[in-house]
Amino acid sequence: MPILEVKNIRKSFGGTEVLRDISFSLEKGQALSIIGSSGSGKTTLLRCLNFLERPDEGTISVGGKVIFDAADPATQQEREVRRKRLHFGLVFQSFNLFPQYTALENVILARELLAQEQPDYKHNKKLIRAQIEAEAQMLLDKMGLAERMGNYPHQLSGGQQQRVAIARALALKPDILCFDEPTSALDPELTGEVLRVIKSLADQNTTMIIVTHEMAFARDVADQVIFMDEGVIVEQGDARTVIEHPSQERTRQFLSGYTQNGAQL
Amino acid sequence: MDIELFLEQLPVVVNALNLGFLQTLKLFAVTLLGAIPLGLVIAFGSMSRFKPLSLFSRFVVWIIRGTPLMIQLLIIYYFPGLVLNNNIWGSGDGGRFLASAVGFIFNYACYFSEIYRGGIQSVPKGQEEAGLVLGMTKSQIFFKVTLMQMIKRIVPPMSNEVITLVKDTSLARIIALQEIIWAGQAFMKGSQGISGAIWPLFFTAVYYLFFNGVITLLVGKLEKKLDYFR
Repeated sequence: MPILEVKNIRKSFGGTEVLRDISFSLEKGQALSIIGSSGSGKTTLLRCLNFLERPDEGTISVGGKVIFDAADPATQQEREVRRKRLHFGLVFQSFNLFPQYTALENVILARELLAQEQPDYKHNKKLIRAQIEAEAQMLLDKMGLAERMGNYPHQLSGGQQQRVAIARALALKPDILCFDEPTSALDPELTGEVLRVIKSLADQNTTMIIVTHEMAFARDVADQVIFMDEGVIVEQGDARTVIEHPSQERTRQFLSGYTQNGAQL
Repeated sequence: MDIELFLEQLPVVVNALNLGFLQTLKLFAVTLLGAIPLGLVIAFGSMSRFKPLSLFSRFVVWIIRGTPLMIQLLIIYYFPGLVLNNNIWGSGDGGRFLASAVGFIFNYACYFSEIYRGGIQSVPKGQEEAGLVLGMTKSQIFFKVTLMQMIKRIVPPMSNEVITLVKDTSLARIIALQEIIWAGQAFMKGSQGISGAIWPLFFTAVYYLFFNGVITLLVGKLEKKLDYFR
C-alpha cells in the first residue's frame, strides 16, 4: 500500500485552473521529484498537500486513510487540519526561518509546543525538554551545523539557513517531507551543500517529494519523476527513464531547454 | 526681573510644578498601560475577516483620529453630566483624572492600532505559513513568531507616539486636571502669594524636555536590544 495517494485533485484561483485532475501515489521510503516550468502547478500541489491551499476537488490519503476529501467537510475541520499537516513537512524556497530564534531554537520550537499539549508534559517537563533539545542537536549535527546551533538566521549563509529549515522540518518526524525548490533562492555555489543533504536523506530512505529545477539531481536522487505542464501530469515514471528517455513530446521540449544551454544533465 | 524675588519664589514654584508633573506622569503611565493592549484589540478588529467588525473598528479609528483630542476630552467629561444629567465621573480631581484617562487611552489606542496593523502586516506571509506547516495554532504563531518581529518593526513609530503623548497630557488642562501646565498657569492668576508670574508656565517646558530626553534614551536602548535579529 502506498504511503501517499493523491486522487483527482483540482484547484482553481479565480477562474484559472492551476491543477487539473492530478493523481499519483508514492511508496514509503521513495523519493519523488516533480519537474516542470514555472506556473505548471508544482508549488500549488505541494501547498495542497500541506493544507496551505484547499483543493476544490479530489482526495488525499496517507497510509490508506483519507485525510482530505473535498466532498466531505468533516475532513476539513480546522482543529484536525492542524494534526493532519504533521503527516507532511515542508521546506520552503525562501527558508522562512524564524529570525528571532537561533538555529537550535528554530528546530525546537514547534516540537516543544506540541509536547506541551501532552498530558504528561507538566510532570516530565525537564526530561521532555532535554530530549527534544538533544534530538534537535543531533539533527543539526547531521546537517553539518554542529558549530552553528547558537547562531541567528541572519548570521548564516543561505545554504546553512536552508539546512536549518530541513532540520526544523525533520524534527517533527513527518511521514512525507516536501521540498519546494529548495535551492532556487541560493547562490549557485551554495546549492551543492543543500542537495548533498537531501541526497543523504534519500539514501536513508526518507519519503520525499522534491519540486526542483535541478534535472541532474532529480535523475540521480529521485526514484520517480513527475513532469507537470499547465496543471496536468504529462508524464510520470522511473526518474532515469523520464529524464533521459522521455516518451512525451512536451517533456522532451522541456528537458531540451536544460541540455541546450550546455548544462550537463 | 528681581533676582532676589525669583530665588524666593523658585522653591514654591518648583514644589507646585513637581506636584503637577506627578499628575502628568500618572496620566502618561495609565494611558500607556491601557492603550498598548487596547490598541492590539482594535488592530485585530480592523484586520478581522468578519466584515461588520472590521468596518466598525475602522469607523471608530476614523472618528477618533479625525477629531481633536481636546474636543474628545470635553465631550467625555461634560457630556454625561450636562446632557444626560448623570455625572458618571464624580466630582473633584478623581473624576477629572478618570475622564482624562478614558479619553487618552481610547485616543492613543486608535493610533497604536494602526501602527500595530502596519507592523503585523509587514511580517512576511511565509512566517505564518512556516508556523502552520509545523503544526502551530494561529495564536501560537502570533505570540511565538509574529509578535517579536512586529515589536521590532513598531519601535520607531511607537516612540514617536509616546513622545507626543508626553506633551499631549497637557491637553487634560482643558477639563481642569491639575497637571503641570495647570500648576504653572496658576501663578499667573495668583497662587501661594505669587501672581502675575509667567515664568513658571514657561518653566514647565523644562520638565517635558527632560522627560522626553529620558524616553529617547530608553527607546534607543530598546532598539539596541532588539538588534540581535533581523
